[in-house]
Amino acid sequence: MNDIVTIKGLKYGLQLTFAKGASFEDIQANLLEKLESGNGFFLRGTTVFVPKDHFAEEQNEILRRMFHRHGMLFSTELKRPNLAPPQRDEKSSAKKFRESVEEAQKMMVINRTVRGGQEVKVNCSVLICGNVNPGAQIIAGGSIDVRGTCRGFVHAGAFGDKTAFVVADRLMPSQIRIADIIARAPDEPEQVSQAERAMIRDNMIIFEPVAR
Amino acid sequence: MSQVLVITSGKGGVGKTTTTANIGVGLAMRGNKVALIDTDTGLRNLDLLLGLENRILYDLVDVTSGRVQYKKALVRHKKYENLYLLPTSQIKDKSAVTPEQLVKLCEEMKKEFDFIIIDCPAGIEQGFQTAIAPAETALIVTTPEISAVRDGDKIIGELGRAEKEDVKLIVNRIRPQMVEKGDMLDMSDIDEILSIACIGQVPDDENVVVATNRGEPVITMSDSMAGQAYKNIVARLCGESVPFLKPQKEGFFARLKKLFGLM
Repeated sequence: MNDIVTIKGLKYGLQLTFAKGASFEDIQANLLEKLESGNGFFLRGTTVFVPKDHFAEEQNEILRRMFHRHGMLFSTELKRPNLAPPQRDEKSSAKKFRESVEEAQKMMVINRTVRGGQEVKVNCSVLICGNVNPGAQIIAGGSIDVRGTCRGFVHAGAFGDKTAFVVADRLMPSQIRIADIIARAPDEPEQVSQAERAMIRDNMIIFEPVAR
Repeated sequence: MSQVLVITSGKGGVGKTTTTANIGVGLAMRGNKVALIDTDTGLRNLDLLLGLENRILYDLVDVTSGRVQYKKALVRHKKYENLYLLPTSQIKDKSAVTPEQLVKLCEEMKKEFDFIIIDCPAGIEQGFQTAIAPAETALIVTTPEISAVRDGDKIIGELGRAEKEDVKLIVNRIRPQMVEKGDMLDMSDIDEILSIACIGQVPDDENVVVATNRGEPVITMSDSMAGQAYKNIVARLCGESVPFLKPQKEGFFARLKKLFGLM
């Protein structure tokens, strides 16, 4: 099943080749499965190249739509003349990335309890020496460390940093977001007695005990 | 040294006005000269609780707008002669008094009074901002309900923004039986969220309703639990250290004692 479609990375995108004799339906199903599994190959904005004469025009159209739905470009031409100059683009995005990493490594210290209705919004990481009460919001570009009980709403890695985490002496937020992943408190609140850290693993937010 | 206190809560109906009336009477009973200022313009109630409605001649809006001297608007309590009420207008709304006006008024009144207690309206809008402006100490009234505690938390945050650091808590309408069964927030639950010094735990008491309707604060009733709790709050405000009532035991032992004719 996995050999129906072969993916090869190119400088400007992904080259797909298909097993001989595979039906279009099988190929389509296989691609869709790969797309939905989110295995990291198919990033948004990637261009996908398909050999020019492999499919009929209407089949190409079906694939084009499928990739579009997943935020990708579809092409039967290996060269894309209308692509922006790739060199410069890569450089500026690399710079941006470096800046965002530097920003996330900074840390702001809040030396009080953040109460309901109050909001802390920072581009960097944040250390809160106090509680985060229900109704309070903490939104950070980096990670969030609460030296106290965290009962409010917390969002770490607000710009998409999936390595961001939230750690608290007692981590019981009403809702927690890391990058674009959201989790909420269970309807039956459970007692937390140990410091915990929340982070992303397998596209899910998990809590694990930590020693402090 | 005179003190300006504000009694606030965020949420409505938790007993701000009742607390104001009782603490006011309690402080006056101890011989302090006390002024109560109602800032709940448009929804005034404090005069009713003190039984002074029909004695009102002028109100807070008349004073702050400069129509009369504040002394003319003060209503002296019929029983406690060093307790005065400065009622507010029932016709105007909250925008009629500004924070600056109230600060100026309190500065002037501080020369005359030992305690000035401001009854704050519910909410966090202009009425609240006005009421807290002159205060040195804020007493937050809450009930053991999640909504009241949440609003209390918000209010503490707002007070912090207004740089009012001396904030104390009064928990009102505690029902010991429910707390014991785990159906009501207990003090540790409340303290976990609010984490400020508590100076009062007032049990739920039917006498409060009777007292309110009669226009005589419950603190004047000698056999009322709530009245005793208010007396303790007053004592703590005067710097005495009084242990909190133990209402959990009271239910059972009081009945036992009554059975044996001890009470």
